[in-house]
Amino acid sequence: MILALLKESVLFAWGALVANKLRTFLSLLGITIGIFAIITVFTIVDSLERNIRGSVQSLGDNVVYVMKWPWTFGPDYPWWKYMNRPVPAYKELGELQRRLKGADAMGFRIGARKTLKHLNNTVENGIVSGWSFGYGQVKTFDIAEGRYFREDEAEGGYNVVILGNTIAEGLFPNNEYPIGKTIKVAGRSCKVIGVFRKEGESMLGNSMDNQVVVPYNFARLFMDVKSENSDPFIAVKAREGVSNAQLKDELTGVMRSVRGLKPLADDNFALNETNLLSKNFDSLFDIVGIAGAIIGGFSILVGGFGIANIMFVSVRERTNLIGIQKSLGAKNYFILTQFLFEAVFLSLMGGIIGLLLIYLLTFLARGAIDMEITLTRSNIILGLTISVLIGIISGFIPAYGASQLDPVEAIRTN
Amino acid sequence: MAQVARPKTISVISVIAIILILLAFPMLFMPSVKHMGDFVPMVLGIIITLQFVSVIGVWHMKRWGVTLFIIMFTVRVVTFMYLDMLNFRFYFNIFYSLIFIIIFLRYMKRMDTNL
Repeated sequence: MILALLKESVLFAWGALVANKLRTFLSLLGITIGIFAIITVFTIVDSLERNIRGSVQSLGDNVVYVMKWPWTFGPDYPWWKYMNRPVPAYKELGELQRRLKGADAMGFRIGARKTLKHLNNTVENGIVSGWSFGYGQVKTFDIAEGRYFREDEAEGGYNVVILGNTIAEGLFPNNEYPIGKTIKVAGRSCKVIGVFRKEGESMLGNSMDNQVVVPYNFARLFMDVKSENSDPFIAVKAREGVSNAQLKDELTGVMRSVRGLKPLADDNFALNETNLLSKNFDSLFDIVGIAGAIIGGFSILVGGFGIANIMFVSVRERTNLIGIQKSLGAKNYFILTQFLFEAVFLSLMGGIIGLLLIYLLTFLARGAIDMEITLTRSNIILGLTISVLIGIISGFIPAYGASQLDPVEAIRTN
Repeated sequence: MAQVARPKTISVISVIAIILILLAFPMLFMPSVKHMGDFVPMVLGIIITLQFVSVIGVWHMKRWGVTLFIIMFTVRVVTFMYLDMLNFRFYFNIFYSLIFIIIFLRYMKRMDTNL
Protein backbone atom coordinates (compact mmCIF):
# COMPACT_ATOMS: atom_id res chain seq x y z
CA MET A 1 0.00 0.00 0.00
CA ILE A 2 2.69 2.45 1.08
CA LEU A 3 4.94 1.29 -1.75
CA ALA A 4 2.11 1.81 -4.24
CA LEU A 5 1.56 5.32 -2.89
CA LEU A 6 5.26 6.06 -3.07
CA LYS A 7 5.39 4.78 -6.64
CA GLU A 8 2.45 7.00 -7.52
CA SER A 9 4.06 10.06 -5.94
CA VAL A 10 7.30 9.34 -7.82
CA LEU A 11 5.36 9.13 -11.09
CA PHE A 12 3.61 12.42 -10.28
CA ALA A 13 6.97 14.05 -9.60
CA TRP A 14 8.47 12.63 -12.79
CA GLY A 15 5.50 13.88 -14.80
CA ALA A 16 5.91 17.40 -13.39
CA LEU A 17 9.63 17.43 -14.25
CA VAL A 18 9.08 16.19 -17.81
CA ALA A 19 6.28 18.72 -18.36
CA ASN A 20 8.67 21.64 -17.66
CA LYS A 21 11.86 20.52 -19.37
CA LEU A 22 13.58 23.92 -19.61
CA ARG A 23 12.80 24.79 -16.00
CA THR A 24 14.00 21.37 -14.88
CA PHE A 25 17.22 21.79 -16.84
CA LEU A 26 17.92 25.29 -15.49
CA SER A 27 17.25 24.34 -11.89
CA LEU A 28 19.42 21.22 -11.97
CA LEU A 29 22.22 23.23 -13.60
CA GLY A 30 23.01 24.88 -10.25
CA ILE A 31 23.53 21.52 -8.55
CA THR A 32 25.49 20.22 -11.57
CA ILE A 33 27.92 23.13 -11.32
CA GLY A 34 28.15 22.78 -7.52
CA ILE A 35 28.86 19.04 -7.58
CA PHE A 36 31.21 19.49 -10.54
CA ALA A 37 33.19 22.18 -8.65
CA ILE A 38 33.49 20.37 -5.34
CA ILE A 39 34.11 16.85 -6.61
CA THR A 40 36.59 18.09 -9.26
CA VAL A 41 38.64 19.73 -6.51
CA PHE A 42 38.48 16.56 -4.37
CA THR A 43 39.36 14.35 -7.34
CA ILE A 44 42.40 16.45 -8.24
CA VAL A 45 43.53 16.72 -4.60
CA ASP A 46 43.08 12.95 -4.06
CA SER A 47 45.01 12.15 -7.24
CA LEU A 48 47.88 14.50 -6.36
CA GLU A 49 47.93 13.11 -2.83
CA ARG A 50 48.03 9.53 -4.14
CA ASN A 51 50.83 10.42 -6.55
CA ILE A 52 52.93 12.14 -3.87
CA ARG A 53 52.32 9.38 -1.32
CA GLY A 54 53.38 6.82 -3.94
CA SER A 55 56.54 8.85 -4.64
CA VAL A 56 57.30 9.20 -0.92
CA GLN A 57 56.67 5.49 -0.35
CA SER A 58 59.08 4.61 -3.16
CA LEU A 59 61.73 6.44 -1.11
CA GLY A 60 60.93 4.07 1.77
CA ASP A 61 58.97 4.52 5.02
CA ASN A 62 61.74 3.06 7.17
CA VAL A 63 64.65 4.78 5.46
CA VAL A 64 66.77 7.60 6.90
CA TYR A 65 68.76 9.78 4.51
CA VAL A 66 72.12 11.22 5.57
CA MET A 67 72.41 14.52 3.69
CA LYS A 68 73.93 17.96 3.84
CA TRP A 69 70.61 19.88 3.93
CA PRO A 70 67.50 19.09 5.99
CA TRP A 71 64.19 18.62 4.11
CA THR A 72 62.20 20.82 6.48
CA PHE A 73 62.89 24.40 7.36
CA GLY A 74 62.00 26.07 10.65
CA PRO A 75 61.56 29.82 11.21
CA ASP A 76 65.11 30.16 12.62
CA TYR A 77 66.72 28.23 9.82
CA PRO A 78 70.52 28.84 10.09
CA TRP A 79 71.28 28.30 6.40
CA TRP A 80 74.69 29.98 6.72
CA LYS A 81 75.79 27.16 9.06
CA TYR A 82 74.51 24.46 6.73
CA MET A 83 76.36 26.05 3.80
CA ASN A 84 79.70 25.06 5.34
CA ARG A 85 78.77 21.45 5.98
CA PRO A 86 80.59 18.77 4.00
CA VAL A 87 78.59 16.58 1.62
CA PRO A 88 78.29 12.87 2.56
CA ALA A 89 81.19 10.83 1.21
CA TYR A 90 81.35 7.25 -0.11
CA LYS A 91 84.00 6.30 2.46
CA GLU A 92 81.51 7.25 5.22
CA LEU A 93 79.20 4.55 3.85
CA GLY A 94 81.89 1.95 4.63
CA GLU A 95 82.19 3.23 8.21
CA LEU A 96 78.43 3.17 8.67
CA GLN A 97 78.25 -0.40 7.29
CA ARG A 98 80.91 -1.44 9.79
CA ARG A 99 79.44 0.26 12.87
CA LEU A 100 75.64 0.50 12.54
CA LYS A 101 73.71 -2.26 14.31
CA GLY A 102 70.15 -1.16 13.55
CA ALA A 103 70.51 -1.02 9.77
CA ASP A 104 69.21 -3.66 7.40
CA ALA A 105 70.71 -2.18 4.22
CA MET A 106 72.35 1.03 3.11
CA GLY A 107 73.60 2.63 -0.05
CA PHE A 108 75.21 5.68 -1.57
CA ARG A 109 73.79 7.70 -4.44
CA ILE A 110 74.99 10.59 -6.59
CA GLY A 111 73.39 12.07 -9.69
CA ALA A 112 73.89 14.58 -12.48
CA ARG A 113 72.32 15.52 -15.80
CA LYS A 114 74.27 14.15 -18.77
CA THR A 115 73.77 13.50 -22.47
CA LEU A 116 72.78 9.95 -23.44
CA LYS A 117 73.28 8.61 -26.95
CA HIS A 118 72.51 5.52 -28.96
CA LEU A 119 73.41 5.72 -32.65
CA ASN A 120 71.48 8.75 -33.95
CA ASN A 121 69.14 8.97 -30.96
CA THR A 122 70.09 11.44 -28.23
CA VAL A 123 68.55 12.31 -24.89
CA GLU A 124 69.88 15.64 -23.59
CA ASN A 125 70.00 16.31 -19.84
CA GLY A 126 69.00 12.79 -18.84
CA ILE A 127 69.35 12.13 -15.10
CA VAL A 128 72.30 9.78 -14.52
CA SER A 129 72.32 8.23 -11.03
CA GLY A 130 75.32 6.45 -9.59
CA TRP A 131 74.23 3.82 -7.09
CA SER A 132 76.33 1.72 -4.77
CA PHE A 133 75.18 -1.92 -4.82
CA GLY A 134 73.35 -1.57 -1.47
CA TYR A 135 71.18 1.33 -2.66
CA GLY A 136 69.23 -1.16 -4.76
CA GLN A 137 68.18 -2.87 -1.50
CA VAL A 138 67.01 0.42 0.02
CA LYS A 139 65.09 1.95 -2.89
CA THR A 140 61.85 0.44 -4.17
CA PHE A 141 61.81 -0.18 -7.94
CA ASP A 142 60.70 -2.71 -10.52
CA ILE A 143 62.72 -3.92 -13.47
CA ALA A 144 60.64 -4.67 -16.58
CA GLU A 145 63.41 -6.14 -18.73
CA GLY A 146 66.87 -7.48 -17.84
CA ARG A 147 68.34 -7.31 -14.34
CA TYR A 148 69.94 -5.19 -11.59
CA PHE A 149 73.75 -4.96 -11.17
CA ARG A 150 75.69 -7.84 -9.70
CA GLU A 151 77.78 -6.93 -6.64
CA ASP A 152 81.06 -7.41 -8.57
CA GLU A 153 79.81 -5.10 -11.35
CA ALA A 154 78.98 -2.42 -8.78
CA GLU A 155 82.23 -2.76 -6.84
CA GLY A 156 84.38 -3.02 -9.95
CA GLY A 157 82.77 0.03 -11.56
CA TYR A 158 81.70 -1.90 -14.67
CA ASN A 159 80.25 0.21 -17.48
CA VAL A 160 76.73 -1.23 -17.25
CA VAL A 161 73.50 0.77 -17.20
CA ILE A 162 69.82 0.31 -16.32
CA LEU A 163 67.50 2.59 -18.30
CA GLY A 164 64.37 4.38 -17.17
CA ASN A 165 61.35 3.61 -19.33
CA THR A 166 61.06 7.04 -20.99
CA ILE A 167 64.80 7.18 -21.65
CA ALA A 168 64.66 3.67 -23.16
CA GLU A 169 61.83 4.78 -25.46
CA GLY A 170 63.88 7.82 -26.47
CA LEU A 171 67.09 5.92 -27.20
CA PHE A 172 65.47 2.81 -28.66
CA PRO A 173 62.41 3.93 -30.64
CA ASN A 174 60.22 1.52 -32.66
CA ASN A 175 60.19 -1.06 -29.83
CA GLU A 176 63.83 -1.95 -30.38
CA TYR A 177 65.06 -4.40 -27.69
CA PRO A 178 67.68 -2.48 -25.63
CA ILE A 179 69.21 -5.25 -23.48
CA GLY A 180 72.78 -6.02 -24.51
CA LYS A 181 73.09 -2.88 -26.66
CA THR A 182 75.72 -0.23 -25.99
CA ILE A 183 74.86 3.41 -25.34
CA LYS A 184 76.99 6.47 -24.55
CA VAL A 185 76.57 7.98 -21.09
CA ALA A 186 78.43 11.30 -20.84
CA GLY A 187 80.56 10.13 -23.76
CA ARG A 188 81.45 6.75 -22.19
CA SER A 189 80.23 3.46 -23.60
CA CYS A 190 77.87 1.49 -21.38
CA LYS A 191 76.16 -1.85 -21.86
CA VAL A 192 72.40 -1.85 -21.18
CA ILE A 193 71.56 -4.63 -18.72
CA GLY A 194 68.05 -3.61 -17.68
CA VAL A 195 65.03 -1.34 -18.12
CA PHE A 196 62.91 -0.09 -15.20
CA ARG A 197 59.15 -0.62 -15.26
CA LYS A 198 57.19 2.52 -16.24
CA GLU A 199 56.23 4.50 -13.14
CA GLY A 200 54.51 7.58 -14.63
CA GLU A 201 54.97 11.20 -13.64
CA SER A 202 56.00 11.85 -10.04
CA MET A 203 55.15 15.10 -8.25
CA LEU A 204 58.45 14.86 -6.35
CA GLY A 205 60.39 14.45 -9.58
CA ASN A 206 61.87 11.13 -8.46
CA SER A 207 60.26 8.91 -11.11
CA MET A 208 62.67 6.29 -12.46
CA ASP A 209 61.25 6.86 -15.97
CA ASN A 210 63.62 9.75 -16.69
CA GLN A 211 66.73 8.28 -15.07
CA VAL A 212 69.49 5.91 -15.98
CA VAL A 213 71.38 4.10 -13.23
CA VAL A 214 75.05 3.15 -13.36
CA PRO A 215 77.28 1.72 -10.61
CA TYR A 216 78.67 4.43 -8.30
CA ASN A 217 82.26 3.38 -9.00
CA PHE A 218 81.63 3.97 -12.70
CA ALA A 219 79.72 7.25 -12.17
CA ARG A 220 82.55 8.81 -10.15
CA LEU A 221 84.72 8.70 -13.29
CA PHE A 222 82.62 11.45 -14.88
CA MET A 223 80.89 13.08 -11.88
CA ASP A 224 82.37 15.31 -9.18
CA VAL A 225 81.56 13.27 -6.07
CA LYS A 226 82.60 16.10 -3.72
CA SER A 227 80.35 18.64 -5.40
CA GLU A 228 76.98 19.55 -3.96
CA ASN A 229 75.68 19.60 -7.54
CA SER A 230 75.98 15.81 -7.60
CA ASP A 231 73.57 15.71 -4.62
CA PRO A 232 75.37 12.85 -2.84
CA PHE A 233 73.59 11.10 0.03
CA ILE A 234 73.61 7.90 2.06
CA ALA A 235 70.31 6.04 2.50
CA VAL A 236 69.98 3.72 5.52
CA LYS A 237 67.11 1.24 5.86
CA ALA A 238 66.15 0.23 9.40
CA ARG A 239 66.29 -3.38 10.48
CA GLU A 240 62.91 -4.99 11.28
CA GLY A 241 61.81 -4.00 14.79
CA VAL A 242 64.03 -0.88 14.78
CA SER A 243 62.09 2.38 14.62
CA ASN A 244 63.23 5.37 12.58
CA ALA A 245 63.79 7.30 15.83
CA GLN A 246 66.11 4.55 17.16
CA LEU A 247 67.95 4.39 13.85
CA LYS A 248 68.37 8.18 13.81
CA ASP A 249 69.78 8.14 17.35
CA GLU A 250 72.31 5.49 16.40
CA LEU A 251 73.13 7.20 13.11
CA THR A 252 73.71 10.52 14.89
CA GLY A 253 76.23 8.91 17.24
CA VAL A 254 78.08 7.02 14.51
CA MET A 255 78.13 9.95 12.06
CA ARG A 256 79.46 12.31 14.75
CA SER A 257 82.18 9.78 15.52
CA VAL A 258 83.00 9.26 11.81
CA ARG A 259 83.30 13.01 11.28
CA GLY A 260 85.24 13.51 14.53
CA LEU A 261 82.87 16.10 15.99
CA LYS A 262 83.60 17.38 19.51
CA PRO A 263 80.90 16.77 22.17
CA LEU A 264 79.63 20.36 22.14
CA ALA A 265 79.86 20.83 18.37
CA ASP A 266 76.66 20.92 16.29
CA ASP A 267 75.92 18.08 13.90
CA ASN A 268 77.28 18.88 10.43
CA PHE A 269 74.85 16.55 8.63
CA ALA A 270 71.08 16.23 8.31
CA LEU A 271 69.07 13.06 8.91
CA ASN A 272 65.95 13.18 6.77
CA GLU A 273 63.06 10.74 6.66
CA THR A 274 60.07 10.49 4.35
CA ASN A 275 57.45 11.13 7.03
CA LEU A 276 58.80 14.71 7.24
CA LEU A 277 57.74 15.15 3.61
CA SER A 278 54.39 13.40 4.22
CA LYS A 279 53.57 15.71 7.15
CA ASN A 280 54.27 18.80 5.03
CA PHE A 281 52.08 17.51 2.23
CA ASP A 282 49.29 16.51 4.64
CA SER A 283 48.86 20.10 5.82
CA LEU A 284 49.09 21.40 2.24
CA PHE A 285 46.39 19.01 1.02
CA ASP A 286 44.18 19.82 4.01
CA ILE A 287 44.34 23.52 3.13
CA VAL A 288 43.56 22.84 -0.55
CA GLY A 289 40.74 20.48 0.50
CA ILE A 290 39.19 23.06 2.86
CA ALA A 291 39.46 25.79 0.19
CA GLY A 292 37.77 23.44 -2.29
CA ALA A 293 35.07 22.59 0.27
CA ILE A 294 34.28 26.27 0.84
CA ILE A 295 34.15 27.12 -2.89
CA GLY A 296 32.12 24.01 -3.72
CA GLY A 297 29.93 24.46 -0.62
CA PHE A 298 28.87 27.91 -1.79
CA SER A 299 28.19 26.62 -5.33
CA ILE A 300 26.00 23.86 -3.92
CA LEU A 301 24.23 26.33 -1.63
CA VAL A 302 23.34 28.47 -4.65
CA GLY A 303 22.14 25.34 -6.46
CA GLY A 304 20.02 24.43 -3.42
CA PHE A 305 18.41 27.89 -3.37
CA GLY A 306 17.61 27.43 -7.06
CA ILE A 307 15.83 24.14 -6.38
CA ALA A 308 13.97 25.55 -3.35
CA ASN A 309 12.82 28.48 -5.49
CA ILE A 310 11.61 26.25 -8.31
CA MET A 311 9.80 24.01 -5.80
CA PHE A 312 7.95 26.99 -4.29
CA VAL A 313 6.87 27.98 -7.82
CA SER A 314 5.88 24.38 -8.52
CA VAL A 315 3.72 24.19 -5.35
CA ARG A 316 2.12 27.57 -6.15
CA GLU A 317 1.31 26.43 -9.71
CA ARG A 318 -0.22 23.17 -8.55
CA THR A 319 -2.07 24.38 -5.45
CA ASN A 320 -5.37 23.72 -7.20
CA LEU A 321 -4.30 20.20 -8.06
CA ILE A 322 -3.12 19.59 -4.48
CA GLY A 323 -6.58 20.68 -3.25
CA ILE A 324 -8.26 18.22 -5.62
CA GLN A 325 -5.90 15.40 -4.61
CA LYS A 326 -6.51 16.04 -0.92
CA SER A 327 -10.27 16.29 -1.36
CA LEU A 328 -10.16 12.91 -3.14
CA GLY A 329 -8.45 11.41 -0.10
CA ALA A 330 -4.73 11.99 -0.67
CA LYS A 331 -2.87 11.94 2.66
CA ASN A 332 -0.48 14.65 3.78
CA TYR A 333 2.52 12.33 3.43
CA PHE A 334 1.50 11.52 -0.16
CA ILE A 335 1.65 15.24 -1.09
CA LEU A 336 4.85 15.61 0.92
CA THR A 337 6.63 12.70 -0.77
CA GLN A 338 5.40 13.81 -4.18
CA PHE A 339 7.09 17.21 -3.93
CA LEU A 340 10.06 15.89 -1.99
CA PHE A 341 10.76 13.29 -4.68
CA GLU A 342 10.58 16.02 -7.28
CA ALA A 343 13.24 18.05 -5.45
CA VAL A 344 15.44 15.00 -4.82
CA PHE A 345 15.10 13.88 -8.46
CA LEU A 346 16.15 17.32 -9.68
CA SER A 347 19.09 17.45 -7.34
CA LEU A 348 20.18 13.86 -7.98
CA MET A 349 20.03 14.32 -11.74
CA GLY A 350 22.13 17.47 -11.38
CA GLY A 351 24.64 15.56 -9.26
CA ILE A 352 24.82 12.63 -11.68
CA ILE A 353 25.40 14.97 -14.64
CA GLY A 354 28.13 16.75 -12.60
CA LEU A 355 29.80 13.41 -11.83
CA LEU A 356 29.59 12.32 -15.49
CA LEU A 357 31.27 15.57 -16.53
CA ILE A 358 34.08 14.91 -14.04
CA TYR A 359 34.47 11.34 -15.33
CA LEU A 360 34.76 12.75 -18.86
CA LEU A 361 37.31 15.28 -17.64
CA THR A 362 39.45 12.61 -15.95
CA PHE A 363 39.27 10.56 -19.14
CA LEU A 364 40.53 13.52 -21.19
CA ALA A 365 43.15 14.40 -18.57
CA ARG A 366 44.57 10.89 -18.73
CA GLY A 367 45.50 11.44 -22.36
CA ALA A 368 46.88 14.93 -21.77
CA ILE A 369 49.09 14.44 -18.70
CA ASP A 370 51.21 11.53 -17.58
CA MET A 371 49.52 11.23 -14.19
CA GLU A 372 46.61 9.08 -13.12
CA ILE A 373 43.58 11.21 -12.22
CA THR A 374 40.76 8.98 -11.01
CA LEU A 375 37.22 9.69 -9.87
CA THR A 376 37.28 7.52 -6.75
CA ARG A 377 34.42 5.56 -5.18
CA SER A 378 34.48 7.79 -2.09
CA ASN A 379 34.06 10.92 -4.24
CA ILE A 380 31.19 9.34 -6.19
CA ILE A 381 29.46 8.43 -2.91
CA LEU A 382 30.09 11.95 -1.57
CA GLY A 383 28.72 13.56 -4.75
CA LEU A 384 25.54 11.45 -4.76
CA THR A 385 25.03 11.92 -1.00
CA ILE A 386 25.35 15.70 -1.25
CA SER A 387 22.92 15.76 -4.20
CA VAL A 388 20.25 13.79 -2.36
CA LEU A 389 20.65 15.70 0.90
CA ILE A 390 20.57 19.11 -0.83
CA GLY A 391 17.43 17.93 -2.62
CA ILE A 392 15.79 17.05 0.72
CA ILE A 393 16.92 20.25 2.45
CA SER A 394 15.86 22.57 -0.36
CA GLY A 395 12.65 20.68 -1.15
CA PHE A 396 11.36 19.93 2.34
CA ILE A 397 9.99 23.41 3.22
CA PRO A 398 7.91 23.83 0.02
CA ALA A 399 6.86 20.15 0.11
CA TYR A 400 5.79 20.31 3.75
CA GLY A 401 3.96 23.60 3.09
CA ALA A 402 2.11 21.90 0.24
CA SER A 403 1.16 18.92 2.43
CA GLN A 404 -0.31 21.25 5.07
CA LEU A 405 -2.61 23.09 2.65
CA ASP A 406 -6.29 23.15 3.45
CA PRO A 407 -8.07 21.32 0.56
CA VAL A 408 -10.97 23.77 0.35
CA GLU A 409 -8.72 26.83 0.22
CA ALA A 410 -6.32 25.07 -2.15
CA ILE A 411 -9.11 24.25 -4.66
CA ARG A 412 -10.30 27.86 -4.57
CA THR A 413 -6.83 29.18 -5.45
CA ASN A 414 -6.46 30.46 -9.02
CA MET B 1 -6.92 21.74 10.44
CA ALA B 2 -6.48 24.79 12.61
CA GLN B 3 -2.88 26.03 12.71
CA VAL B 4 -1.40 26.31 16.22
CA ALA B 5 -0.06 29.83 16.82
CA ARG B 6 3.75 29.82 17.00
CA PRO B 7 5.29 31.63 20.00
CA LYS B 8 8.01 34.18 19.21
CA THR B 9 10.55 32.19 21.24
CA ILE B 10 10.04 29.14 19.01
CA SER B 11 10.34 31.31 15.88
CA VAL B 12 13.62 32.84 17.03
CA ILE B 13 15.09 29.53 18.18
CA SER B 14 14.03 27.74 15.00
CA VAL B 15 15.74 30.38 12.84
CA ILE B 16 18.91 30.16 14.94
CA ALA B 17 18.80 26.34 14.82
CA ILE B 18 18.39 26.32 11.02
CA ILE B 19 21.34 28.68 10.59
CA LEU B 20 23.53 26.55 12.91
CA ILE B 21 22.50 23.34 11.15
CA LEU B 22 23.19 24.78 7.69
CA LEU B 23 26.57 26.06 8.89
CA ALA B 24 27.38 22.50 9.95
CA PHE B 25 26.73 21.24 6.40
CA PRO B 26 30.21 22.17 5.00
CA MET B 27 31.64 19.84 7.68
CA LEU B 28 30.77 16.98 5.30
CA PHE B 29 33.40 18.19 2.84
CA MET B 30 36.19 18.61 5.37
CA PRO B 31 39.26 16.45 4.57
CA SER B 32 39.36 15.19 8.18
CA VAL B 33 35.81 13.79 7.83
CA LYS B 34 36.52 12.33 4.38
CA HIS B 35 39.56 10.50 5.73
CA MET B 36 37.41 8.73 8.36
CA GLY B 37 35.79 6.55 5.71
CA ASP B 38 33.75 6.53 2.52
CA PHE B 39 30.40 6.45 4.31
CA VAL B 40 31.12 8.84 7.21
CA PRO B 41 30.12 12.01 5.25
CA MET B 42 26.90 10.22 4.27
CA VAL B 43 26.03 9.36 7.89
CA LEU B 44 26.81 12.88 9.12
CA GLY B 45 24.87 14.34 6.19
CA ILE B 46 21.78 12.27 7.03
CA ILE B 47 21.98 13.42 10.67
CA ILE B 48 22.26 17.09 9.65
CA THR B 49 19.40 16.76 7.13
CA LEU B 50 17.09 15.09 9.65
CA GLN B 51 17.94 17.78 12.22
CA PHE B 52 16.95 20.36 9.62
CA VAL B 53 13.67 18.50 8.98
CA SER B 54 12.98 18.35 12.74
CA VAL B 55 13.40 22.12 13.11
CA ILE B 56 10.95 22.67 10.22
CA GLY B 57 8.53 20.50 12.19
CA VAL B 58 9.07 22.64 15.30
CA TRP B 59 8.55 25.79 13.19
CA HIS B 60 5.16 24.38 12.16
CA MET B 61 4.45 23.61 15.88
CA LYS B 62 4.41 19.83 15.38
CA ARG B 63 5.23 17.43 18.17
CA TRP B 64 7.03 15.09 15.80
CA GLY B 65 9.48 17.95 15.21
CA VAL B 66 10.50 18.03 18.89
CA THR B 67 10.63 14.22 19.08
CA LEU B 68 12.77 14.01 15.94
CA PHE B 69 15.02 16.83 17.21
CA ILE B 70 15.68 14.94 20.47
CA ILE B 71 16.29 11.64 18.62
CA MET B 72 18.71 13.28 16.17
CA PHE B 73 20.49 15.09 18.99
CA THR B 74 21.07 11.73 20.71
CA VAL B 75 22.14 10.06 17.45
CA ARG B 76 24.53 12.94 16.71
CA VAL B 77 26.13 12.78 20.16
CA VAL B 78 26.56 8.99 19.97
CA THR B 79 27.92 9.15 16.40
CA PHE B 80 30.40 11.93 17.19
CA MET B 81 31.57 10.04 20.27
CA TYR B 82 31.94 6.85 18.23
CA LEU B 83 33.94 8.74 15.57
CA ASP B 84 36.01 10.41 18.29
CA MET B 85 35.10 13.90 17.04
CA LEU B 86 35.15 15.39 20.52
CA ASN B 87 36.19 18.94 19.69
CA PHE B 88 34.93 22.40 20.71
CA ARG B 89 32.22 22.22 18.04
CA PHE B 90 30.86 19.00 19.58
CA TYR B 91 30.55 20.49 23.08
CA PHE B 92 29.11 23.73 21.70
CA ASN B 93 26.53 21.67 19.81
CA ILE B 94 25.53 19.81 22.99
CA PHE B 95 25.27 23.11 24.86
CA TYR B 96 22.91 24.90 22.47
CA SER B 97 20.94 21.76 21.55
CA LEU B 98 20.13 21.10 25.24
CA ILE B 99 18.92 24.70 25.65
CA PHE B 100 16.75 24.31 22.52
CA ILE B 101 15.34 20.97 23.77
CA ILE B 102 14.39 22.47 27.14
CA ILE B 103 12.57 25.36 25.42
CA PHE B 104 10.89 23.05 22.88
CA LEU B 105 9.67 20.77 25.70
CA ARG B 106 8.17 23.75 27.53
CA TYR B 107 5.95 24.43 24.50
CA MET B 108 5.36 20.79 23.55
CA LYS B 109 1.89 20.57 25.10
CA ARG B 110 0.72 23.40 22.84
CA MET B 111 1.97 21.63 19.74
CA ASP B 112 -0.05 19.71 17.15
CA THR B 113 0.10 15.90 17.28
CA ASN B 114 -0.69 15.43 13.56
CA LEU B 115 1.84 15.05 10.76
